[in-house]
Amino acid sequence: MLVLAAIAFTALLGPLAIDWRYDAIDWNAVHAAPFSPGHLLGTDSVGRDLLARTLVGTRVTLGVAAAAALVALVVGVAWGAVAGWCGGRIDEAMMRIVDALYALPFMFVVILLMVVFGRSILLVFIGIGLVEWLTMARVVRGQMLALRERPFVTAAEAAGAPPVTIILRHMLPNLAGVAIAYLLLTIPQVVMIESFLSFLGLGVQEPMTSLGILIKDGADDMDMAPHALLLPGVVMVTLLLCLTRLGEKLRDRFTL
Amino acid sequence: MFDLIRRRLLTALPTLAAVIILSFILMRVAPGGPFDGERPLDPQTREALMSAYGLDKPLHEQITLYITNLLRGDFGPSLVYRDFTVTDLIARGLPVSLTLGGLALLLALILGLGAGLTTAARAGSRIDHGIMLGATLLTALPSFVVGPLLALLFGLWTGWLPVSGWGDGDARHMILPVIALALPAAGAIAKLARAGLAEVLGQDHIRMARARGMRWSRILIVHALRPALIPVASYLGPAAAGMLTGAVVIETVFALPGLGRYFVQGALNRDYPLVLGVVTLYAGLIILFNLLADLAYGWLDPRARL
Amino acid sequence: MTLLVAEGLTIVIGGRQIVHGIDFFIEAGRSLALVGASGSGKSQTCLAPFGLSAATVTGSFLFDDVELVGAGEEKLRHIRGRDIGFVFQQPLTALTPHLTIGAQLREAWTQAGAQRPSRAEMAAALDRVGLDRPGERLDQYPHRLSGGQRQRALIAMAIAHKPRLLVADEPTTALDAVLRTEIMALLRRLTVEQGMAMLLVSHELATVAHHADDVAVLHDGRIVESGPARQILGAPKSDYARALIAASPRLDGPAPILGPAGAPLIEARDVAVSFARPGWRSGRLEAVAGVDLDIAEGEAVAIVGGSGSGKSTLARAIARLGPIDSGEVRWRGAPLPSRKSMRPHNRAGLQPVFQDPVASLDPLWRVRDIVAEPLRQLRPDLVDAAVAARVEKMLAEVGLDPALANRRPSGLSGGQAQRVAIARALSPDPALLLLDEATSALDVLVAGTILDLLGELQRRRGLSILMITHDLAVARRLCHRIVVMDAGMIVEEGPTERLIETPRHEVTRRLVEASR
Repeated sequence: MLVLAAIAFTALLGPLAIDWRYDAIDWNAVHAAPFSPGHLLGTDSVGRDLLARTLVGTRVTLGVAAAAALVALVVGVAWGAVAGWCGGRIDEAMMRIVDALYALPFMFVVILLMVVFGRSILLVFIGIGLVEWLTMARVVRGQMLALRERPFVTAAEAAGAPPVTIILRHMLPNLAGVAIAYLLLTIPQVVMIESFLSFLGLGVQEPMTSLGILIKDGADDMDMAPHALLLPGVVMVTLLLCLTRLGEKLRDRFTL
Repeated sequence: MFDLIRRRLLTALPTLAAVIILSFILMRVAPGGPFDGERPLDPQTREALMSAYGLDKPLHEQITLYITNLLRGDFGPSLVYRDFTVTDLIARGLPVSLTLGGLALLLALILGLGAGLTTAARAGSRIDHGIMLGATLLTALPSFVVGPLLALLFGLWTGWLPVSGWGDGDARHMILPVIALALPAAGAIAKLARAGLAEVLGQDHIRMARARGMRWSRILIVHALRPALIPVASYLGPAAAGMLTGAVVIETVFALPGLGRYFVQGALNRDYPLVLGVVTLYAGLIILFNLLADLAYGWLDPRARL
Repeated sequence: MTLLVAEGLTIVIGGRQIVHGIDFFIEAGRSLALVGASGSGKSQTCLAPFGLSAATVTGSFLFDDVELVGAGEEKLRHIRGRDIGFVFQQPLTALTPHLTIGAQLREAWTQAGAQRPSRAEMAAALDRVGLDRPGERLDQYPHRLSGGQRQRALIAMAIAHKPRLLVADEPTTALDAVLRTEIMALLRRLTVEQGMAMLLVSHELATVAHHADDVAVLHDGRIVESGPARQILGAPKSDYARALIAASPRLDGPAPILGPAGAPLIEARDVAVSFARPGWRSGRLEAVAGVDLDIAEGEAVAIVGGSGSGKSTLARAIARLGPIDSGEVRWRGAPLPSRKSMRPHNRAGLQPVFQDPVASLDPLWRVRDIVAEPLRQLRPDLVDAAVAARVEKMLAEVGLDPALANRRPSGLSGGQAQRVAIARALSPDPALLLLDEATSALDVLVAGTILDLLGELQRRRGLSILMITHDLAVARRLCHRIVVMDAGMIVEEGPTERLIETPRHEVTRRLVEASR
């Protein structure tokens, strides 16, 4: 948790503290080694400061991931809640749709979208969010079904609470823990997809950067300059580890 | 059982059709076409090309035509690899991709289940924590990092294994790509199996089996493993999808002539029929794997049988 | 010969000592019942010495002159496998779901190294525990069996290897009253037939005492009284044992004082409810088949029946809290609208209390808000101050400390939580209280106090009560009239005393028998 906060904080404010902008090229220091003067962690193959790029990249990646996860959260919770509450035929139909969508090679549809409509960060995270809501919808529906059987929901009905009140005041608050847990678990997925797209050259566009792009660049010449892979790699792996751990902990605590 | 298969196929076919139609429309409404190359073609040539490939017909006719041909196993001509039909390209790429994906899935299952059983048997120990940390790490590492890393370690530095090309199916060429593709899935399977076992081991029927004085190893395998595999089975569908996307990367990194490469090339070159063909094929494969997962459910949990 | 001797047995779990140096023994072939409320340490006493819980055991626990305290897992495993059979509380989950009954019985049979049994032998074993169609059962998976059938199968497995001691931890708690008696009688018969000793653990002194030779009453980890069952039941020496006996409702106790009944309150005609069969099989399961039920003002009526008899479904259908296919329900002469069109004034007259006290309170809400919820929905005319005052009054009326108002359900005991649920139900001043097994999840002593409270409320407020229970003795304690249901139909109804004295229907006779 602390590590997470530290990474997010540094990524937000860090770029202000560094002399180099993420896209500025230092012609005097192409492929500089770490700890060279002026570039604490060295530069990449065209002389851009790695530390600055990593910080900005982290920010972009986190931003995309958070936005996509939020899209997934909203769509997933709404869909799952409606299906779980209505039950019966409506539930059956809505879950069939989710099943069907699950069977789609969505990665490829996203790639298609990117190719067709050009690349934009907006599209990246809308696309990803639309893939990731499926799991959220399934989980939320399952929880709704479990909650609906709880006597306190029946008691609320007997107390005269209309369905909207029951959903808003009893069910959604009891769902929140699980939803947040899956939100956290969605973020690593999104980060992976983002980096995958970046690898294909379909992610955010140069000179903008992201963790995925940095790792791809680093991986490209890792025999020459392993440090260029190391920093973004370490940031990404730490980020994902923390998010996964935290998400799993929350999930185990709140799942009914 | 047959009822289940029939029911699944009933939902699978519309899904497949939806994928095809959706992708088809997307590609058509997109700005730019396959013939917008470096230099503009003169209108006449362009028109001739369009009509030759049937691109001038109304959209719904194009779709109907495409699906009719598809049913006969004809994926249409490739617009970029002019001398090949898409069917040819798929016929070349598919065996490579299937071998790669199949072996990787197998390896991932072996590694993942092994790790899951080991950790669950020694829950709370250092081995448990170590392996689970490793598994989480594996799921957090993109395959395009693992791939080059392996290539560097075992290929370039030690020279033990070839790092690029297919070598006409030579087993040694396959080792690194298969490992690179399997590792992330192995991590995920290990985590699922571990969590599943932990849950099952806390249940009453395990205490009952222990009360009966049975050996721990027997309890683990006879009484706990099957129900614990249910989450693993439900991961089979997504795992297959993951293998396919992973294969795109791995095939690029290790320069393998598989389907993934064709897909990326096709997408970048706006080779509609090629991309469509690959997407259709992938959708079919994923649906197949979800069906397998459903069947596995029935075996794992008799309550799910009809 | 003494088979089992415990001396100074002390059990610590999670740093807390829950059993404080108790002594008891069992002669070969005899049975001892350990009786106590939940948390008295009775279950740990029968599990921990055999290595079946995470607790630390000190003192001495001799089985057949072998010291089990401090023995390694391997040694304990051999002893469990060879000489001891176990039956647990939860028959629904104690069978491995993916193995057939036959496979599991074969495993139990051979656990001590016996020859593989033939199918005929296994079928005979199932027949002996009273399982019908035993040959067919061998090939079935556990989920096809009902709770009672599963417990029978588990008992067959527990004794298949001819153990010398049977340990039964609350073997009937999860079953309904009729099954309870049958299973206890079965266990008793088997121990006599096989010359097995039995260590029985239960929270019901009255039931258990009929089926064991000796009884030890456990309270807070100490044995407060022990001796022959007849003696303890007839002339208990300790206050605690006396309280336990007094709290268990019995059919021969003094008749309760009930308030008078008035004009008709509820008239339900031809109520029918059916459910879609589970899975994808077609067809519907008829849960309630055209039932009539009347309740008068101030009258307490019990619907009694086994699990699956449709009693709960019927009550929920009438209260508009569950599905209903057809039938009419009149409330003070006027038809009650359907579930979806119930308005606050319809709801206010009829409030439910459910079985599981903790699950029936929203875990995120405070007691204050839980009790106030029906007021806010049903009595919009009340201002905040009036609501608060009423909440306080309700809490006092159900005997709760007003300081609990700020707690959440997780900070309440089972009895307190059930009192909160009753306070919530009473807050809108209902005319009818629906009690759905409202005391069956509670300990005997707590359940006794809740029943007393309900009786008092009934008299003081002239409340009508519709009570769902599987236990005639509980129904007798509170109700004027009893309705017996079986397979979705009413098989007999009548004034409480008449029905218990001269039961006419077979099902009623079995229920009466079970509560004796």
